[in-house]
Amino acid sequence: MSFTRRTAQLLHEDHQGTIEVIEALDQLIAKARKKAPDVSDAAVNKTLTKASVAIEDEISNHFAFEENELFTRLEEMGDVGIGEHLRSEHAALLPLGKTVAEGARAALQGGFTDQTWPPFRNAAAELIERMFSHIQKEEMALLPALEDLLDPETDMQLSSAYEAAHL
Amino acid sequence: MSSAFLGGARDRLLPVSIPFRFFVSAALFHLAAWGVLLLEADQLGGFTGGPGPILAATHLATLGVFAMTAIGASYQLLPVVTRRPLARDWPTRLSFWLLSPGICLLAWGMDRSSPGAMQTGAALVCSGLTVFAMLTADNLRRAGSVAVVAAHGWAALLALVGLAVLGMLLVWDFQTGFLDDHAGLAVIHMVLASYGFMGLLVAGFSLVLVPMFALSRSLPQRPGWAQLVLAGVSLASFACGRWTGNTAFNWLALLAGFGAAGTYLWLMRAAMARRMRKRLGLSFVLIRASWGLLGISLILGAALLADLPIPNAPALFGFLLLAGWLSTFLMGILQRIMPFLASMHASGKSGLPPPPSDLTPQTPLKIHAFCHFGALACCAAGIIMETTALIRLGAVFGCVGALAFVGFALIVLLRLRAFQQGS
Repeated sequence: MSFTRRTAQLLHEDHQGTIEVIEALDQLIAKARKKAPDVSDAAVNKTLTKASVAIEDEISNHFAFEENELFTRLEEMGDVGIGEHLRSEHAALLPLGKTVAEGARAALQGGFTDQTWPPFRNAAAELIERMFSHIQKEEMALLPALEDLLDPETDMQLSSAYEAAHL
Repeated sequence: MSSAFLGGARDRLLPVSIPFRFFVSAALFHLAAWGVLLLEADQLGGFTGGPGPILAATHLATLGVFAMTAIGASYQLLPVVTRRPLARDWPTRLSFWLLSPGICLLAWGMDRSSPGAMQTGAALVCSGLTVFAMLTADNLRRAGSVAVVAAHGWAALLALVGLAVLGMLLVWDFQTGFLDDHAGLAVIHMVLASYGFMGLLVAGFSLVLVPMFALSRSLPQRPGWAQLVLAGVSLASFACGRWTGNTAFNWLALLAGFGAAGTYLWLMRAAMARRMRKRLGLSFVLIRASWGLLGISLILGAALLADLPIPNAPALFGFLLLAGWLSTFLMGILQRIMPFLASMHASGKSGLPPPPSDLTPQTPLKIHAFCHFGALACCAAGIIMETTALIRLGAVFGCVGALAFVGFALIVLLRLRAFQQGS
């Protein structure tokens, strides 16, 4: 997708960054299966480092921006259902993101054990599935709608504020 | 939460009952089509047209499975893609209640060679398709964006008008025999229905759905326009060729058809190459296989035009076009979008929506995929070898697979209901 609105483009770039982390996490889980992976392995370490930092920060800022600035505007236009659904998905994703980030941080410090790996794997698997599905919906139903929803001036204000919050 | 989805007229999400009534019906018609083929397997190999059970099975597939799936998906997806909600909900329900009995009556009439039943069924079906066409045209008319997808939609509607008019003429001709070239018009009707209406919808929606499910980076726009123009040239040339008897038009149609399909497959390959989601699951096994079957159908079309000595080539061509390309593609898409849409309308006790996997029973889908490919292989071999037992075995596979798919659709619905009641 490419978008004429800067706000949509920034959110799309966020999605790409999140997908990269989530996809790496998915590969890690698929490869390790039931056996806890070795965190001293460079690839495992890199994935967990990304997951420990990127997911929590990215999704909390990203979600707050969408809920406060975009869904409200969609709802004012009468397009209630999509915003409400995406909000409920955020509510499901945020605690999962936190759990996975905390689990990744703990694993980076002390490695996975037979006790810590299964709950991490389950939470990560749920996060991965929910996140892919969520991004698919936003890419199809939310970002294209911003082309109509935002005039150039509002787009500039919102995108500048969002960029500033990311720095 | 679900009350929000009952939404206002400006909401792009329809009540879940609207797309799902079309999808569940498609699953049931799928089973019916294979069931008829199982009962009348001996008639498939030599089929070249005319009323009877094979024509009935064909229309159970084309109208019952393909059109129902396309209409249900269009009603929900077009407003999202075009960013313009449907003007009203009730005509979508009306179109369903015209189409579903119409398809049953038309198929029954074709099976029994009953002109009255065929005419009444065809009239109901055309009325339902008219409602669909008007709603879709209204939506496309207001769509200022996604021009290439909207243009595919307009072209599909044009093909729909053509195939519906021809269909009505053909049905009335069974009783009165006023057409000079019934067989020639039937071929144009079939090509407009499969490569035209369905093919253009598949090509248009693929530009949106495949990158979305695969999370691909942007697809270039120009090849999308090129595939549309080439498909249009192909369909128009084919109709001219059949109408005038000038074979040059047929070869031009074939060449443009190969160009359109080649461009489409190139775009899909690009979507796969640029995808960020690596594991795409069973649905994409079907979708990818359907791309291969599209190519095979065109190669067989070329062989038919060249009069190559392939046994039962017309029946084989029709079978691989309908049960091969279109059915395989649509079953792949259906098994992806049903849980996807259901998850948007469900919320558990916590008020949170379930992930699509909680709504997706995997076993029926695995049974369906195995049986579907078994059915294609056995029936195709049976047609070529003129062996009824092989076709019947293929139809058994088809029935078991279709039954598994009905099971899948019902389980998705039951799980959705359980989540809704839980909330």
